[in-house]
Amino acid sequence: MSGDHDDAVISRQVRLLESLLEERGIVGGDTVDEVIDGFLAGASPVNGAKVVARAWTDPAFKERLLADGAAAVGELGFAAGGVQHQRLRVAENTDSVHNVIVCTLCSCYPLRLLGPSPGWYKSEAYRSRVVREPLAVLAEFGVTLPDDVKVTVWDSSAETRYMVLPRRPAGTDGLSEPDLATLVTRNGLIGTALV
Amino acid sequence: MPDRLAYAPGDVVRTYRHDPPHHTRLPRYARGKLGVVVEPEGRAPLADIRSQGRDDAPVEMVYAVRFAARDLWGEGDHDVVLDLSESYLRKADADVR
Amino acid sequence: MARMNDVGGMTGFGAIDTTDDAEPFHADWEARVFALQRALLVKKVFNLDEFRDAIETMEPAAYLAASYYERWFHAIRTLLERKGVIEAGVLDHA
Repeated sequence: MSGDHDDAVISRQVRLLESLLEERGIVGGDTVDEVIDGFLAGASPVNGAKVVARAWTDPAFKERLLADGAAAVGELGFAAGGVQHQRLRVAENTDSVHNVIVCTLCSCYPLRLLGPSPGWYKSEAYRSRVVREPLAVLAEFGVTLPDDVKVTVWDSSAETRYMVLPRRPAGTDGLSEPDLATLVTRNGLIGTALV
Repeated sequence: MPDRLAYAPGDVVRTYRHDPPHHTRLPRYARGKLGVVVEPEGRAPLADIRSQGRDDAPVEMVYAVRFAARDLWGEGDHDVVLDLSESYLRKADADVR
Repeated sequence: MARMNDVGGMTGFGAIDTTDDAEPFHADWEARVFALQRALLVKKVFNLDEFRDAIETMEPAAYLAASYYERWFHAIRTLLERKGVIEAGVLDHA
């Protein structure tokens, strides 16, 4: 990780690069700010949580979500993001399967539905270990699974993005869809939490 | 009429063993390994070629392929699923050298 | 040959720091690098596979020492210099 001095140097370099690209007509002056604002406004784990709550309460939606994730989240107004075309695959946790997502080669992640990725998701520690020893990794997140639950790790090595559909917690029958959405955490959508 | 798919769900495949001198999206931990095709994922330009800034990258089917931890690491009870371009796959009984 | 980014199954990176401050960017320049990458992809100055390649071909020790967005900036700079969009070394004098 870099210190304050490195930060000041790279900050000046980025500004100079921006001015060179603007001068040469490649990236307009306002474009960078617009991209940042658009990203911060549109990408959030609240979006993924809404998708999960809908799937918990609407079996037909859940079926469509598992069959074609991108089309189903589009129904809720969440266009599949990314500069290139991306497919969305939703992996459903059951009483016998627990899913967890990773990108070992870089850091691919469904930004629109999960928001900016946490630092640990991009770390070598997580990327190297979760495909090799997922139970030990989950334990570090405080997650222990029954012995008869099988773990599937989805390593995003192409243009499909993954999201986990957690199991609906017991005792939530009376909750409304918006209340259910508040139960869902970002880590639950990655698979490093149960919900 | 879409092209006939090279692999169908349930087919046993072996990943390519070659260690290429360029960018690739087949991680080394999954090279030369047996896996089972889950499903076709759609077509995409082959990253190995596109990463070289070339505009002649072949557009290939990408398959989700499931590997047992025991086949990847010699131990473990979990599965790992990777999304792999057709070029990275061979029929299970093919010579992959 | 294997590249430093291809870490699946490697040992030695230690425990996972599971804390998360929920901050997408830790400095203004990180946000600007993120946005520049997207803008340059949209403009087709380079493609995403070239961008990944430019990160992966970092010298291994430099890759590991760099923060996430330092890697991104390195890749952007490398590709823009290679393609002649900016002159080699021009950013050294910022």
